[in-house]
Amino acid sequence: MTIFQRIRNILIGLIMILIGLIFLINPSDEAYILVIGVLFLGLTIKGIKDIIFYITMARHMVGGKIILFQGVVLLDFALLTGSLSNVPKIYILLYLVLINGFAGIVEVLRALESKKEVDGPWKMKFSHGIVNFILALSCLIFIRHNNTALIIYSIGLIYSAIMRIINSFRRTTFILIE
Amino acid sequence: MQEDFHYYATYCAAFIAGYSHKESLDIAYSAQFVDVCSRTLLSKIKGPGNAATTQLQLELMDARTDPVGLQDITRIWSSFHFLPKDLFAEKKKCSRRYRNKYRLICGPNGDLVVKTVELAKGKPIQSVGIAMHVLADTWAHANFAGTPSLVINNTNYVFYELIPEGDGFKERQIKFVHKKSVPDDLDNSVYTNSLYQSNENSIMNLGHGRAGHLPDYSFVRYKYLPAWGEYGEITKDNPSDYMKAFTQMIYAMKYIRGINQSFEIDKYDTEAISQWKERIQGIIEKRQLLASEDWKAFGEELSGQVIEDFAIDKYFNEYVSANKKDKDETYLGKFIRGAIAHKGMVIDEIGKSGNKLAGVARGSFLNRFFRGNQK
Repeated sequence: MTIFQRIRNILIGLIMILIGLIFLINPSDEAYILVIGVLFLGLTIKGIKDIIFYITMARHMVGGKIILFQGVVLLDFALLTGSLSNVPKIYILLYLVLINGFAGIVEVLRALESKKEVDGPWKMKFSHGIVNFILALSCLIFIRHNNTALIIYSIGLIYSAIMRIINSFRRTTFILIE
Repeated sequence: MQEDFHYYATYCAAFIAGYSHKESLDIAYSAQFVDVCSRTLLSKIKGPGNAATTQLQLELMDARTDPVGLQDITRIWSSFHFLPKDLFAEKKKCSRRYRNKYRLICGPNGDLVVKTVELAKGKPIQSVGIAMHVLADTWAHANFAGTPSLVINNTNYVFYELIPEGDGFKERQIKFVHKKSVPDDLDNSVYTNSLYQSNENSIMNLGHGRAGHLPDYSFVRYKYLPAWGEYGEITKDNPSDYMKAFTQMIYAMKYIRGINQSFEIDKYDTEAISQWKERIQGIIEKRQLLASEDWKAFGEELSGQVIEDFAIDKYFNEYVSANKKDKDETYLGKFIRGAIAHKGMVIDEIGKSGNKLAGVARGSFLNRFFRGNQK
């Protein structure tokens, strides 16, 4: 990871903590809209970027189709997110929880893949995914108690942000080419 | 390639090509110095930063990956460690951005190797060492590019080591780990590689990082799916490639010394090593992390002289204490001029092919060198 990538990850982590705190302190309608807006923008940019990268570069790469699928799924999520501005809060929360749960499952699968391919930093990824998934599940259980679910979701968001920041400070293996 | 080949094997090749013990040592030192001459080192000895032939891990961690930063990385790694095989290689139905990266894939016997060896002819011995480093790396680093690129340099789990067994080979899946502190486990085919990074221009995707140190081991044979290969499997036979590298170095140095009239691609001086062929083969095929001791013993037998270990600071004092006008005449001064000239030549050729990934060579690179030689 370059210094720029580390700084970017730390900034994203700080934004996530901020959103988590906003939800904890002032869970208003505007807060929901703000989160939806940020999520929509982020997913759209990443989705379009992935699709363009596939068309111009990755379609010639072994295993490159995964980048196309990733881009399409992200764009799909972005469009769905953008359409949530006029629905009741409970659905927005449900959606955010599902996204979190989905991210948790993906994280666990990626950790297992890493374990199969390399014996590297899979444990942290794995535990992150599991915690994410459990938090999402807890939110679902308490979904009728709006405030409780929101507190759990916020804690999950802050936890993910801290993990991201910790990861930014980790040393990354780099093969010295001779 | 590591110190075993760039220093000790290069010494042996130079001696077989007809250089004296002292000249062979100087060539070997220069060849190995390419792997350590970073901007950090140059700043320590107050040398010009544009003569850097490598980048340290920390320098790379700080390296920018915007277009200008990428050009800087590409200039160093494509020139000295991943010399492109074919700057006009064609790939159908691809974007220019992809094609530019594709054309930087390293490989032996390309036009640039010829230009590299020709450039070293008639130049100080330091330039010969630089050329030998570059030539040898075209064999070891083949199929990877000296620019950060996921779509070119990535590898996946399809990676098998071919272990000699009876008359054939048995396949063993390679397991990659990310623990740099643990040495590669040759007995179980467990090797360290760099982390997967989905960012196209991440420095983790520079050169053969995703294949770990496998290209640097002379004994290893492996097959894998290169990211650029359209799902075609490549079998890399390092023992064969390293032997070719060794005999091509002898052939090239005989050309530089004026014994051979020309340097042509795909020619190897196998005759020169006929009496030591099995010995050399034995060193190359021995499963070990570093073959320095074996190459050193062979070199000392060849020349009957002691080959001193590579000492990075051997010529520092001479360079640092020289007057500004005399610096160019010191060992490191000549190395620096040779490195700048070689880098300038490669950047110029890449630029002339319409590829902007290495930027544009400053006229002063070549001019400075030629002016220096006319003095």
